[in-house]
Amino acid sequence: MAMTREELNALKTAAQAKAPANWIRVGYSTCGVAAGAKEVFDVLVDEIKARNMDITVKKCGCVGLCSAEPLVEVNIDGVPRVFYGKVNKDIAHRIMDEHVCQKKLVENHIYEI
Amino acid sequence: MKRILLQDTSGTLKKELRDFYVALNSHLRDNGLNDKAQAVLVADIGIYNKGIVAKVLPEGFVYAGLKNTDIALIVEKTILGGEKVAALALDKKNRQMRIVLRNCGIIDPESIEDYIAQEGYQGLAAALAMGPEKVIEEMKKAGLRGRGGAGFPTWMKWNITRGVKGDEKYIICNGDEGDPGAYMDRSVLEGDPHSVIEGMMIGALATGARNGIFYIRAEYPLAVERIQKAIDVCRTRGLIGKNIFGSGFDFDTEIRLGAGAFVCGEETALIASIEGLRGYPRPRPPFPSVKGLWGKPTVINNVETLANVPYIFLKGGEAFGRIGIEGSTGTKVFALTGKVKNSGLVEVPMGTTLREIVFEVGGGVLHNYAIKAIQTGGPSGGVIPEVFFDTPVGYESLQKLGSIMGSGGMIVLDENDCVVDISKFYLGFCVDESCGKCAPCRIGGTQMLAILSKISQGKGETEDMVKLNQIAQAMQKASLCGLGQTAANPVLSTMKYFEAEYRAHVIDKKCPSGKCASLVSYSINKERCTACGLCARNCPVNAISGDRQSKYTIDMEKCIGCGNCYEVCKFGAVIRQ
Repeated sequence: MAMTREELNALKTAAQAKAPANWIRVGYSTCGVAAGAKEVFDVLVDEIKARNMDITVKKCGCVGLCSAEPLVEVNIDGVPRVFYGKVNKDIAHRIMDEHVCQKKLVENHIYEI
Repeated sequence: MKRILLQDTSGTLKKELRDFYVALNSHLRDNGLNDKAQAVLVADIGIYNKGIVAKVLPEGFVYAGLKNTDIALIVEKTILGGEKVAALALDKKNRQMRIVLRNCGIIDPESIEDYIAQEGYQGLAAALAMGPEKVIEEMKKAGLRGRGGAGFPTWMKWNITRGVKGDEKYIICNGDEGDPGAYMDRSVLEGDPHSVIEGMMIGALATGARNGIFYIRAEYPLAVERIQKAIDVCRTRGLIGKNIFGSGFDFDTEIRLGAGAFVCGEETALIASIEGLRGYPRPRPPFPSVKGLWGKPTVINNVETLANVPYIFLKGGEAFGRIGIEGSTGTKVFALTGKVKNSGLVEVPMGTTLREIVFEVGGGVLHNYAIKAIQTGGPSGGVIPEVFFDTPVGYESLQKLGSIMGSGGMIVLDENDCVVDISKFYLGFCVDESCGKCAPCRIGGTQMLAILSKISQGKGETEDMVKLNQIAQAMQKASLCGLGQTAANPVLSTMKYFEAEYRAHVIDKKCPSGKCASLVSYSINKERCTACGLCARNCPVNAISGDRQSKYTIDMEKCIGCGNCYEVCKFGAVIRQ
């Protein structure tokens, strides 16, 4: 069945309303995956599950700063939204400990894009 | 709580920054402000060569050229008062503008809801309400030109195909991206697949095509996977199929894989490849818009071109036409690579200068070497020397300089890159990728490459440069398709701008950049040598011998001229001649 314009608009409104408050985006294009985005993504998902937190982790495309992949964008209430670049497993754990839990920015990995 | 970000890139003086950071932290601690502000060292703020740079969040004030004596003022005004310290502030101009990459990195490419939430498929709905004629009118107002290389106006291409009578027409998305160093199409296909599908559907509506084909190279498995998922979900949701949005417009699309031949980016070869034939170009006319895939009228658009289209129908053609410069509207995505600090994709409005792209967006040259030139347009493009870096980027302006916009590859070359070596690389690429059908490209390319190899080995003669020019002109005029016609461009443009360097190779038998292995020799200065042995450990052919007492020497018989020893020596003891 073809979608109608009204259905499209309803979908849009629903999708916009559903936008999560706290989220983490992981650059998951070829450049990100090649640099180790999968590992980082898995760490973030596992940590959030283990801590039972309400944070959505999403796989996204490439924002463009390929030299700093894997890039992780973090938006947590009470902390400015930032990009972390050259993230590995350890940094992913630190993002969870420091940024998400202690609400402190993690040193040396922030990139302004 | 406020955050003070301090930029810690290699461009800043380490000690000064360290002192500033310590002083700032002690100031915060001594005044009991640790719960009011956090000082953070960050990798990059995007401002270079301006001393100590800080950014205060959430306000986003940027301060540059900071000294320890400024700390008290910043803390008092900004941290406690929330005001900007005008004397220290720097206006950070955002050079980038995202149209093609508007959703890349923002949405989940595998979620259609994410795309719809960002006004996805609204452009298509608007276009369907307009009808084909008005769609082409709107595209004319926008002035969008093909982003794949040639820069043909998209509205004209659509209009020609629309004007050809035929019950069956095709629209093809050219995702056969093969220029060395260019990968913006891959990023768009992977990061925002629905925008390309939506653009293709608007193109189909305008031209009268009812079938679309994505021609994507098999080397892009993730792009293929995401486009396939996007097509599947569109089909189940009823976004493609029969009677879309109740308008009576039918459309369906599928993927065909390319085997990664560069020539298959050429329209006629691409069509042959889809038809299951060998990827050979054929003479035109007839043009694909008249007789294309399966002999039917066919329009072929590049990925980036199509990704622009939904935006045009969201914001209007006139609004799009106001971005950029006369004749080149909108933005262009460039894949900035080579010797540049921030390599990656940048999207800037047309008319941005090369200098702004390389030094402001790209952060300048890696390791602070002197910049020599920038290569644009891939193997069909040319090399632009530093003196022309203030040229605003556009289709015509780059052509005037002997280069092209191409698909948007930009490779930054520094003083250690040799122009003969660069043109040899690009020509070698075209020789490898030449399909061999026409003689000028097949034979001309091979002969030019042989001459360039001779020159780089120090066996060049003065008439070689004349010969290069002659063959290049023959190739430009007589080759069958774009590959051969443009293959000589890198050679011609380097010979034009760097003639002295070619002469140095031919007459003095020297490579000024020290890149051509046969023309350089390495030796070790015993007085500077500290006998650390680093060069010997890094020599791939064990040509360096010695010990703590006698120090080290290079055996020229064994040396292959790779330059590893020169690069690793910390004391400048390895001499290159």
